[in-house]
Amino acid sequence: MNIKITHNWLLEYLDTDATPNEIQKYLSLCGPAIESITKMDADYVYDIEITSNRIDSASVFGIAQEAASILPMFGKKAKLKTNPLTDFKFDKSQVKQNDPLLKIDITDSKLISRFVALVFDNVNLKPSPAPILERLKAVGVKTINNIVDISNYLMIELGQPIHMFDYDLIKDHQMIMKESKKGETIVTLDKNKVTLPGGDIVIEDKKEHLIDLCGIMGGLDSAINEKTKKVVLFVQTYNKTKIRRTNMLTGIRTIASTYFEKGLDEERVEATTIIASRLIKKNSQAKQISSIIDIYPNKYQPLIIKTTVSKINKLIGIVLPKEKIISILENLGFQTKLLNDSLSVIVPPSRKNDVFIEEDLIEEVARIFGYHNIPSKLQNPTYVKQPKDMENIFIFQNKIKLLLKHLGLNEVINYSMVSKKQLEELALDPKKHLRLTNSLSLDIEYLRTSLIPSLIKNIKDNEGKKEKLKLFEIAKIYLPKDNDLPNEVYKIGIATNTDYLDLKGIVESIYKELNIEDEVSELIETKDGIYITEIDFNKLIRLSRSFPSYKPLHPYSVIKLDKTFKIGSNSTYAIIKKLAEKSKLLQKIEFISLFENKMTLRFYYSCPIRNITEEEAKLELEQIK
Amino acid sequence: MIDIDKLKQQFNNELTHTQNIDQLEIKYLGRNGIINDLLKNIKNIPNEQKKEYGQKINLFKNTVKQEIDKNIKIFNKAKDSKNFIDNTIPGKTYPKGSLHIISLAIEEITKIFENIDFIRVSYPEVDWEYQAFESLNIPKNHPARDDVETSFIDSPAHIKFGKMVLTPHTSNGQNREMKRVKTPPIRMINISKCYRPNWDATHTPMFHQFEGLCVDTDITIANLKGTLDYFAENYFGEGTKTRLRPHHFQFTEPSFEVDISCSVCKGEGQVNSKKCKVCKSGWLELGGCGMVHPNVLKEGGVDHKKFSGWAFGFGIERVIMMKYGLDDIRNYYSGDIRFLEQF
Repeated sequence: MNIKITHNWLLEYLDTDATPNEIQKYLSLCGPAIESITKMDADYVYDIEITSNRIDSASVFGIAQEAASILPMFGKKAKLKTNPLTDFKFDKSQVKQNDPLLKIDITDSKLISRFVALVFDNVNLKPSPAPILERLKAVGVKTINNIVDISNYLMIELGQPIHMFDYDLIKDHQMIMKESKKGETIVTLDKNKVTLPGGDIVIEDKKEHLIDLCGIMGGLDSAINEKTKKVVLFVQTYNKTKIRRTNMLTGIRTIASTYFEKGLDEERVEATTIIASRLIKKNSQAKQISSIIDIYPNKYQPLIIKTTVSKINKLIGIVLPKEKIISILENLGFQTKLLNDSLSVIVPPSRKNDVFIEEDLIEEVARIFGYHNIPSKLQNPTYVKQPKDMENIFIFQNKIKLLLKHLGLNEVINYSMVSKKQLEELALDPKKHLRLTNSLSLDIEYLRTSLIPSLIKNIKDNEGKKEKLKLFEIAKIYLPKDNDLPNEVYKIGIATNTDYLDLKGIVESIYKELNIEDEVSELIETKDGIYITEIDFNKLIRLSRSFPSYKPLHPYSVIKLDKTFKIGSNSTYAIIKKLAEKSKLLQKIEFISLFENKMTLRFYYSCPIRNITEEEAKLELEQIK
Repeated sequence: MIDIDKLKQQFNNELTHTQNIDQLEIKYLGRNGIINDLLKNIKNIPNEQKKEYGQKINLFKNTVKQEIDKNIKIFNKAKDSKNFIDNTIPGKTYPKGSLHIISLAIEEITKIFENIDFIRVSYPEVDWEYQAFESLNIPKNHPARDDVETSFIDSPAHIKFGKMVLTPHTSNGQNREMKRVKTPPIRMINISKCYRPNWDATHTPMFHQFEGLCVDTDITIANLKGTLDYFAENYFGEGTKTRLRPHHFQFTEPSFEVDISCSVCKGEGQVNSKKCKVCKSGWLELGGCGMVHPNVLKEGGVDHKKFSGWAFGFGIERVIMMKYGLDDIRNYYSGDIRFLEQF
């Protein structure tokens, strides 16, 4: 997520001599990435990317805390002016679990980890004071009035969303927090009627009347309006999984929900509540009339992580002095205890959703120290054996790809998925294919079990773009299996719009390249003037030989004889070849030409131990009838 | 004794005036030519001078040869004016096919990593949720597992391994490689098709990633930096720099995003004091990487106390775009011959 804050706002928490450009440069290297700075009147607006694990830093104060740790590493002065998270704690005497002014019933403790509410009276609604108006405007948040603006203002300043209700619009002044039932409805602040998927965190004031879609958006009929006199300040930490689910299922996303869905820490609630109360009193002259209602059954238990200085240095690949490591961690709010090499670190509550193991601490040390300060050094060389079957796949793919390219073919890579229509056109049964449940388009719904449908489409799509098309693809097909992952098998698909013998010759070239002496057994299909075939890759690997069958050279004569045959079903090339091969003197046959039904072949006769005469060769040739 | 210098002079003179270089060649270099006569004459030279005599003649012979060869070319050209050959006509056409731009990049990347001991592997493209997520420390309910991020297969779920998915990244190979190798060292480069339900100007529902995984005793962030620098220099060109920025991924800790310096502005962000149009800030984002999370090592059966590792996963389409500026990736898989035949 991205947040926007302003430079002057940041300076309320940070004492620094760094310029906005320096802040952008140094923070981006060691912490949150500041994607842009925009000058606005006398201020600068930072647009900052917050990674999903660092929601604790998604606020003016959070950025100030990062800056106070990072900027001194670049020789800049930077200190926190105040730390609200440690400076502001509830006055215990004011805290109660319940208050007759507002009856609270939380039906399931799993919905919320901390619930805080306060009631104010004599609220005087008017526009917010100028600094709040200016800052909210600068960061692109709509201003409403002095009460609603406080909730937006503090969400950006402290990273804790707040909601405000009109106290008098809550029936019987009671709040029942529960899970919604499927189909329940609520009209939210933006005047939309939302039908709930069920299982959402909601608040009901009386039976079947919802006043809040918690963590996402408040209800319209309990919202602050021009007649509001009494206000409920509402500061909570919800179950993040539930919030995210409601976000997804309803499609409603608000800035507040992007905070809640990442999980907020309960301790931040105290500082936010105290500062919000002060602002309500100051900006609207209101009076607090309730106690601080605080329901917080499972108090934060600090996590202690044990690590060692040597482990930290070992993973980073550098030797950092202990003092440096400790000062980095302490600046970030961690408490440390060092005993010789071992280091115990207490994780502050703000980092409870992010720091769990020693590697998390190493990340903190390394990034503040500066990744740019870590040397660059290749690991030591070593030998790892590549499995033969994997090696073969890549070696043979390369060989065949290069061969086909040099024969003038163009390699194509298609999506692994095809449409139902493509399958049916080739009489392939869609049921025998794996299907995607959430395909973006019917064009890519089924996983291929053959490369042919895609190649046919390629040739058709290219009609008119080039006269002669010769395409090939080497890719996996996916053959479904019962209750298991599919068989992923490599195939070579070749398609041309030329002629049968052209494609056959291409396949024969592959055979020759791999020293395969078998006859081509692949079926060449013809459809709409497209010639197409598919070769099993593993079969080729199996049949291939690394070395051709070598025949020793001999000095004896070779007699070449041409003969023309009338071809027909009883005298095909294959039949003639079979007959010719009966001769012990035959070395090879060459196809010369085909004119109408007349085929001319050239026969090479010789003997490896003596010279033969032309007469002998002619005798051999005559045997072919 | 014969005067070689005089002969040289005579030859040069004839060379400038001759109309027939072939005749000149026969006169000097022919079987009964001047030079052979001189050599035959060697028997009449006193023994103590024979060596010097022979050397002189040979030197002269070489000079004549060179000069004649040089002039034959000039002569032939002149002759052609009568029997004209237009050497600007294209030569005989031989077929020129093409490999897919992705294939070319895969080969290049494989070679770069083979040189530092990495082996290329091949793992399933259709895999269980366990391989794609749990084994990578990505728990249930994590956003990456939503059906807007991952393509699911309509097939019964496995009791232990969950649903069948099209791998949204090449990281499913991490756990498989750890289990195959059993005890490190591991030096894996996994290049494969990946799938996500995302289809717009800059995304295709199928794309390619290459994943590096290195596990050994004492693997450090410095080693990851070393490898990234090595790759950047070899793939993008000498002088290319890398930088790491903090990031977050479930399967690495610490996690980084790596940028490379822009080749247009050399990392300055400015060309002639104007903002660089290619990168805007001097750097281009390459992808994610980090130190392998101990949970990922554990899940792969690797002792995380003894071994550490780094991993990265980058998009092939992205590196091609960064290197050659080819940014309409939808053409890659359209099968359009006008695109294919250019490579």
